[in-house]
Amino acid sequence: MTDQNEKKIERRQFLSRAAKAGISIAAAGIISAKLYDRQGPKAVADAGALVTLPDFSVPPKDDQTICIVEGSDRKATVSKAIELLGGMERFVKKGDIVAIKPNVAFASSPLLGATTHPELVAEVVRLAYKAGAKQVIVTDNPINDPASCFTLTGIGRAAGDAGAKVILPKPELFRHTTLPGGKLIADWPIFYGPFAKADKLIGIAPLKHHHRSGASMTMKNWYGLLGGRRNVFHQDINTIIAELALMVKPTLVILDGTVVMVTNGPTGGSVSDLKRADTLIASTDCVAADSFGCTLLGLRSSDLPYLAKAQNAGAGTTDYESLKPIFAVAG
Amino acid sequence: MDSVSSRAKRLESAISIFLLAALFLIGFAVFIKQFDFDMSRFGIGAAAPLLPARGSKTIAEEKPPFDSLVPSGFKKLSEAETYIPENLYEKIDGKASLYIESGFVKLFTQRFVSENDDSLWFELFLFDMAAVRNAFSVYSVQKRADVEILPSAQFGYRTSNALYFVHDRFYVELVGSSESADLFVAMSEVADKLAGPPFLLSQESRGGKVTEIPELTLFPQENIVAGSAKLYLSNVFGFDGFSDTFVCQYRLGEEVLTAFLSRRPGPQDARTTAENYYNFLIDNGGKAKPTSHDTLKTIGGKVVDFYGTTEIIFAIGPYVAGVHEAKNQQSAEKLAAQLINKLSDASRTTKND
Repeated sequence: MTDQNEKKIERRQFLSRAAKAGISIAAAGIISAKLYDRQGPKAVADAGALVTLPDFSVPPKDDQTICIVEGSDRKATVSKAIELLGGMERFVKKGDIVAIKPNVAFASSPLLGATTHPELVAEVVRLAYKAGAKQVIVTDNPINDPASCFTLTGIGRAAGDAGAKVILPKPELFRHTTLPGGKLIADWPIFYGPFAKADKLIGIAPLKHHHRSGASMTMKNWYGLLGGRRNVFHQDINTIIAELALMVKPTLVILDGTVVMVTNGPTGGSVSDLKRADTLIASTDCVAADSFGCTLLGLRSSDLPYLAKAQNAGAGTTDYESLKPIFAVAG
Repeated sequence: MDSVSSRAKRLESAISIFLLAALFLIGFAVFIKQFDFDMSRFGIGAAAPLLPARGSKTIAEEKPPFDSLVPSGFKKLSEAETYIPENLYEKIDGKASLYIESGFVKLFTQRFVSENDDSLWFELFLFDMAAVRNAFSVYSVQKRADVEILPSAQFGYRTSNALYFVHDRFYVELVGSSESADLFVAMSEVADKLAGPPFLLSQESRGGKVTEIPELTLFPQENIVAGSAKLYLSNVFGFDGFSDTFVCQYRLGEEVLTAFLSRRPGPQDARTTAENYYNFLIDNGGKAKPTSHDTLKTIGGKVVDFYGTTEIIFAIGPYVAGVHEAKNQQSAEKLAAQLINKLSDASRTTKND
């Protein structure tokens, strides 16, 4: 110990030192409080608040949940299917803004069946306008270059000719969302803009084999809503498809099995990958639609784990027969 | 005064300890909190664009000279694109894993369109698979049924709207927008140009030296279904331990049989793999069956009844081989015997070498 330390302190000195220490602590506290950022850093400047897709579903009607129509003419089969489910007026009210989400994933010819057939998109646009829609939007967030996809699939021109507004993805149309209870969709960017002001949502998907998930149908079609590096979800493809089925509550889904891609999906490439099944399914229950749809690929619903996951999560039923499907022939 | 001084010292010590403890707690809290953050905002997700990126601009300079490929009466429809394993999914989505697991290095694509009819267009997909075996694997497992074999290619076929072939380490697809004869002529022209300078994709075959896949010569040729050879690189027949395995189909009357073979690093490895596959079949409900076929008995081949189909498996030298899911045991044993003879010859040649 040094002499300095052994020196006795007087009461006045002690009070003076204690006061200085107190002032220092108080000053540090005040400065810290002033600088404290309760919200923390904002890493993504435009991320904004989390959004939730609107619920686009319509009230259920007994025995009018799923309709399966045979026929080779897509215009005729889709018209018949919608008519038997109660008509487009059941789904679209006068003045509605209707968003249509086809599968425009690839810049490939409609001949190859990798994307929704443009004729089908055009017919649904027409039916929506006929039912009184104020505006019909056709949109998707493709895997390939969006402009090329909408041009080469023929969907851009078909939708435009039918009077629809085609919306291509732009960064400002994406917002973050979280699926309550979801494992994968947590604060993840989704293609939100075109759907934010829509009143109704109709999904139209081609029926095809998928190398990773087994089959790509109406539930997998919602994959197009995901932004960011969505390929990471391929590692858990069954969970992401099931979560998408929970996240999106469409008005109606249409599954086109007129020509089915039975091998080498999801891209295909050869006409020999295709098989005519001449069947179109329309349903308000996407799990039921896909559960019937997979039979056209020679699969059972139990062969596709995402169907059971979606059913267990409450997105619909794999037991499509319990819904008393309406079977019909068109044309 | 002593007691006052002592109290002051104790108070100062207490304050110091309190401040140090507070600093330590703050530091500890910061340390713990740094591991608990939202990846999608502050990690990979935040760095990722909201829109999925499409195509690679950063390696654009590596594009091959596609200008020289433009067929007569056609022009380029869009810019060439290049994809690497990290972004291959942007072009082919869920099929990317098939290529990446097979040694994929790079994909070059280019669209061409007719100068007179914009509905007539096709796209070239040039997959660099690093090795001819890898290229053959992705070619063979995607091969369509009932196709027309291309005589000009070592491995190739056409469908009504597309051409598919292997050129050395490249797997090539030319996919047309329709079943037009004009498109087929144009796609054939591109295929021919790919075989010449500056691409030299099939330099060996043009020079008379064909790039061989040795295993394909080991299958018996009698009754073989032309173009039926496939190479599976992993998880063959649902068995994790089975990799790098070739299969060929044979037609005996109305029956179609599948023979398989895989070269292992050595005879011991081949025997172990054969034993493991046999155990896999038994563990999954297969039942051992006796055989009266002398050739099979001689080499210790095993026959398994697997839910009404016959599986035969044996090892010869470095090869594991057999017959898969045959409906008829006698036909399977006959084919197995032919395969054993071919492999025995090959093993003898290998030893003499």
